[in-house]
Amino acid sequence: MAVTTDSSVAARLVREPRRTTRSRQRGRRALVGYAFIAPAVVLFLVMGLYTLVYSFGLSFAKWNGFSPSWDWVGLDNYRDLLYADPRLAPEIRGAALNTGIAMVAVSFGTVLIALPLATLLNSITRLRGTLRSIFFLPYVTAGIAVYYAWRYVLEPDGAVNLALRAVGLGSLARPQGFLADPDTALATLIVIMIWGSVPVAMLLYLAGLQAIDPAVIEAAALDGAGAVRRLRHITWPLLVPITVAIVLLGLRDTMQGFQIFLIMTNGGPAGHTDVLGLKAYQQAFFQSLSPTLGVASALGWLIFLAALLLAVVNARLLRGQR
Amino acid sequence: MIGNRRFLAAVAAVALSLSVAACGGDDESGDGGKSLTMWTFKRTHVEALQQAAAAFKTKSGIDVKIEAFTPDDVFTAKIQSAAQTKDLPDVLELHSGGEDLRVGGGGLLADLKGDFDGKLDRFLAPTRESGRVTQQRKDSVEELSGATVGSLYSVPFTAGTFGIVYANKEKLAKAGLDPAKPPATWEEFLSALKATTTADKEQGGLSLGLKVTQTGFNWVYEQLAFAYLGQQKFEALFGKGTTAGFGSPDGLKTLDLYAQLKPYWIPGVSALGIDEADIAFAQGKSAFNVGGTFTLAFLAQNGMKPENVLAFPIPPATGGAVSDLRLAPLALTGLSVTSTSGNAAAASQWVDFLTSPEGAGIFAKGSLDLPATDLGTQAETLIGPELAALQQFFTGPADSTYDAGNRGFRPPDYDEVEMGNPLLKLAPLGEADAATTGRTLDTVIKAMWDAK
Repeated sequence: MAVTTDSSVAARLVREPRRTTRSRQRGRRALVGYAFIAPAVVLFLVMGLYTLVYSFGLSFAKWNGFSPSWDWVGLDNYRDLLYADPRLAPEIRGAALNTGIAMVAVSFGTVLIALPLATLLNSITRLRGTLRSIFFLPYVTAGIAVYYAWRYVLEPDGAVNLALRAVGLGSLARPQGFLADPDTALATLIVIMIWGSVPVAMLLYLAGLQAIDPAVIEAAALDGAGAVRRLRHITWPLLVPITVAIVLLGLRDTMQGFQIFLIMTNGGPAGHTDVLGLKAYQQAFFQSLSPTLGVASALGWLIFLAALLLAVVNARLLRGQR
Repeated sequence: MIGNRRFLAAVAAVALSLSVAACGGDDESGDGGKSLTMWTFKRTHVEALQQAAAAFKTKSGIDVKIEAFTPDDVFTAKIQSAAQTKDLPDVLELHSGGEDLRVGGGGLLADLKGDFDGKLDRFLAPTRESGRVTQQRKDSVEELSGATVGSLYSVPFTAGTFGIVYANKEKLAKAGLDPAKPPATWEEFLSALKATTTADKEQGGLSLGLKVTQTGFNWVYEQLAFAYLGQQKFEALFGKGTTAGFGSPDGLKTLDLYAQLKPYWIPGVSALGIDEADIAFAQGKSAFNVGGTFTLAFLAQNGMKPENVLAFPIPPATGGAVSDLRLAPLALTGLSVTSTSGNAAAASQWVDFLTSPEGAGIFAKGSLDLPATDLGTQAETLIGPELAALQQFFTGPADSTYDAGNRGFRPPDYDEVEMGNPLLKLAPLGEADAATTGRTLDTVIKAMWDAK
């Protein structure tokens, strides 16, 4: 027993330095790991968490961005946005309606165009790569410069009106231009947003289509199913998860994004293209340094709540597809 | 060895992140009053300010760096972020009569009372007190609640007024109109518009930056309504619990007058920003353009020859209370010294130079903008005959003079932006009639009164 004890002690004495070395190496490796993630953690703490906490606090205050102190107002900012302020609340309701219309129209418009486009692209072998690059162009070019280009195209004497008149469709031309006309302003912006979002959706669909086993399609064709039936009863059900993802991404992007509205119409004419994101931006930076950052922040949080709701719906729908 | 390298790489990554975080520190500090920075939100002012800065450097040895941040939302965000990081410049050019007071009340501006109270008589009389904290302003501007009455947060820099119509003389001549004779009445103005739009349907109309919706209200409607109703009834439109508001017979008449412009706006006018509308006029896409005294400088910078422009105030309607409308000048922008400036004395010296007849003269000549400093007899030489001629509309009997700077009769929480959309729906959009517009405007005014 004593011998055994002696030998185990000796063995321990032999093993101990190794273990110490190993644990030191493990600690060092962990330190290296922590050091590598430190920039990301610091960035998140400064740019993410700090900003979130700061803006949440600000949504309960009045502040202009430079005064030494915040004026706490409790839930007033939220109340004003939702119902209490007879000037602000109707504007927010109008903007929410426009946002809702744009969210639904952009998401479903994207699916309606991207799916047939991807199906056609999947059915050809020649020039597929070239055509895919061409269709993807709107995505890589979409941005501020392109929005300005669209504005010129949509002016009263812009290319769209000229083209319509040239092909004998002058009755469809808009004498005030497409962005200054209350009847067409929002619809025009929706079309441009769809134009910008179709490429990614098309690529997602294309990837989904190429993942479908060709044997399944071939079997259906041998059984006499035509192209439309194959699309409806085989391809479409297999693409539903991708469609759900595309629709929800479109809903979220349209709800939170406002650059196109800011650059192309600034909410006009007369509020016909006001959206929630733009209203938040205007409250923050277009009020002649009035203390409206709190209202803007509160509106941002209301938009966040809506986005959160969408994310929950998203998760449930995707889970339902499994 | 590999472990050591990995460890060193990790240390480098941490050091890099810390050094990036450290980049946000103060970048400039005072250097004995020999260098100043000034921010403006007007790009059209930069060159003229640089010319004045060059003259100032010759006299004082102090270098002034001019920086412009546009558009307005960018300038606002710049001030807000600089205030947080204590990176404000030494001197700011701000909108007068609101923005300067808010920024000053927020503690960002130095009180210029000691340096400039004895020098205010160099400015046009109506502009002198634009940057002063008064009891009335203290009561209505939240940020001034802690300010001392009598403090001076800005001195006037540029002056002028809105509601100036610019006409293209060549287009007037082509339409058979006398290019030297401005319309004397609203009706004559409408006739002139009819003539120019008949001569050129697409490019003979009226331009205005209606994308900034309040321009229609501030630059056309108010002057028209003031001239038609007279001062007392005009002020009653904005009254608390008024029965003589925009929906009253008098109010409706003024809205009907404004709506008469509907056939004459250029196509797509409601999608044009202020600059875009001015550029459209400078490019010959409209025969008439509405702006302010400051518009001429922008038109000139965009290739419009001032001698090809006929300028006149919004003409009064026949049968109204005022037949010879005058427009009181107001301070449009002011100069402020920041409270964080490390060179406050030099900054004050620069503001003093810039508002002196010499500095203001250099600025006026370089920018074609009207300084708030009274240039006296040398005005025409410095700013040209066209802009100097506009000054004739500045003086007249008080009851015939529309003063855009007079805010006392409006609700304390008055927001001109909210007056713009209803008027835009009346004209040019034609989505509402005068009665609906009047009711909407009355509701907006009531909400503004109730807000306090």
